[in-house]
Amino acid sequence: MARTWQPDFERLVDEHQSMVFSLAWRMTGDRGLAEEIAQDVFLELDMHLDHLESPAHTLFWLRRVAMSRSADALRRRRVRGVDLWVEIDDHHGAPPEETTSPLGTRLEQLLTTLPEPQRAALTLRYQEDLTPEEIATVLDSPLATVKSHLQRGLKLLRAKAQSHLKEYIRRA
Amino acid sequence: MPEPPESIHQITEFERELRQNLARRPAPPSLKRRILEARTRHRTARFRNRIVLWQRLAASLVLAASLGGGYAWHHVQQQRKGEEARRQVFTALRITNRALNEMNARLAAHDRAANE
Repeated sequence: MARTWQPDFERLVDEHQSMVFSLAWRMTGDRGLAEEIAQDVFLELDMHLDHLESPAHTLFWLRRVAMSRSADALRRRRVRGVDLWVEIDDHHGAPPEETTSPLGTRLEQLLTTLPEPQRAALTLRYQEDLTPEEIATVLDSPLATVKSHLQRGLKLLRAKAQSHLKEYIRRA
Repeated sequence: MPEPPESIHQITEFERELRQNLARRPAPPSLKRRILEARTRHRTARFRNRIVLWQRLAASLVLAASLGGGYAWHHVQQQRKGEEARRQVFTALRITNRALNEMNARLAAHDRAANE
């Protein structure tokens, strides 16, 4: 059966590079590393272009590979014994024109201090607006596990935010 | 025990903040260019590797054919030498046999002459 969808690589890069880059950055907390991961993900996309059936399939594939490559990078970093928190202070700063509010930057930093599975679940939930079922498919993880990571991650992140962000407290 | 509504509201508010602050970051302007350049390099390298692979395969086939042909020629040569050697042996045997027959005839003639 002839394929009706003919993907254009450059257009896919235009459409999805921010998504891939953001996922990698939120997972690793390292801007430079996120760029490398994004580059690798799109190189892999080029090699698998013939196997992708639709725009939705491509989006799913990119999310999955971006998360997988980010996890690999974090694992290599752990093997090297690099302190992620120190890395955040050194590398998390974006060029001035790209910074969000101080609150937003702080939340991003706190996100990278969460355990990796919780970080992954929260990133896919609040950056990509995926449902728990969709997150489970992307991460190839049981739904109950994903829900647990979301619940615990949210609770932990909120607790960290409350203790670190004086400006976040809305009630005296 | 159900959570108090106040806590749920706070969680929802926090989620809203999170969603707002975790919006996708724009990719660096240079990222697309770097991706396309890396793709070109990667494809060129793959193409070159494929050429080298086919060259090596062709060279292996030529070498195998040469070795095989050389062995076959050697085998034929050995066979031919064997045939030649056998012919020479038979020739030698025939010559020897003829010489022996002549010798016998002379001896027989000599014996007859001696008896007469």
